[in-house]
Amino acid sequence: MCDHCLKHGTAGKWYFNARNYSNEIAEEYNLREFLMEQYLNFEQIPVRTINGFNAVGLGYKMQMPIIGRVVKYFAEKMVLSTKPPTNPFKAEGHFGQVVPLDDAIAILEHCAAEPIIQKYCMCRYMSRGDKDACCINFGVMSEIIEKLPRFIPVDEKFQLTREEAIERFKEHNKKGYIGTIWYGPYPYINNLCSCKNPECAGIRPRLDFGITSIFKAEYVVDVERDLCTGCQKCISKCQFNALKFDPALRRVVVNQENCYGCGVCLHECKFDALRIHPRNEYPTLAGKY
Amino acid sequence: MGRKTKITIDYLKCGDGVGLDPRECSKCLRICEPAIFLLHETLGVEEKNPYDPQIWRVTPLYPSLCTRCLKCVEVCPVEAINVTW
Repeated sequence: MCDHCLKHGTAGKWYFNARNYSNEIAEEYNLREFLMEQYLNFEQIPVRTINGFNAVGLGYKMQMPIIGRVVKYFAEKMVLSTKPPTNPFKAEGHFGQVVPLDDAIAILEHCAAEPIIQKYCMCRYMSRGDKDACCINFGVMSEIIEKLPRFIPVDEKFQLTREEAIERFKEHNKKGYIGTIWYGPYPYINNLCSCKNPECAGIRPRLDFGITSIFKAEYVVDVERDLCTGCQKCISKCQFNALKFDPALRRVVVNQENCYGCGVCLHECKFDALRIHPRNEYPTLAGKY
Repeated sequence: MGRKTKITIDYLKCGDGVGLDPRECSKCLRICEPAIFLLHETLGVEEKNPYDPQIWRVTPLYPSLCTRCLKCVEVCPVEAINVTW
């Protein structure tokens, strides 16, 4: 997201710009009413028909010769839109990026606007009927979730301090959930999710249908050759098919084209053989998000 | 590729506030490996309290990813799911 960070990142990454989290941005774009309307009917968004199109049977629509390309073009135009949002029933400007643990901690420590809450992940609820409090929300979004009982955790704390939020995020990350930070909608950042493929409604369009709804992290994972013992424990943690055991070398190799840089495999390695490096240090990967 | 998979759900047996409540059951949602089903509030119904909707249904959202394992058909307690290709 190079150009994007130049524009929105005050000499750094876009998600480290505290202005993007501020309530002023939410007021400027009138997001209070917009988000309320959107989250009242959140689970319905994929089945609602807008401009003659809905996401039911998306895979078959994308396989059609010309129509498939038109669908992809309009879906990406909508998701990556940077215009002020108009229709709360569309996922306009709702794109995000994978963040590894350290960046997520920095976000929670310095950038996230109060109040910070945790809520039941709606993606898991709509795809699995499962209630798992693994989403962390900030600012205006927290006030909206407060009014919607189905998202409020029952046996766990709802409002979190910064330290508690960091602890929760660490727990999820160790479990193997990928950390993602989301505009919702652009340019207001209010969501730090920990999720998994195929439940995550944000990762799924990219992995299953090739619609760029999420960007790879600013990092990639690399193996320290001499430290890897070939125990293969990390392989099961990777949800992007980036880790593979090479029987000839008797160690794990990383397919960096596939690596999203989420860093959840790092928790699994007892030998400190997996390391996370900035994507731009690799000439073949620089700028490929 | 072959033929398209068609998944239909009988809404008289499941969902819409008439049959089984899919939020309580959600067996098909959990058993499906590629998670092709979507649990959502039924479109266009008047809710008593729009902040806490009570009428839900399940829609097969991504039939193209279906592996045709038919576990959802087996697990459904009211035999509402039908898969054909």
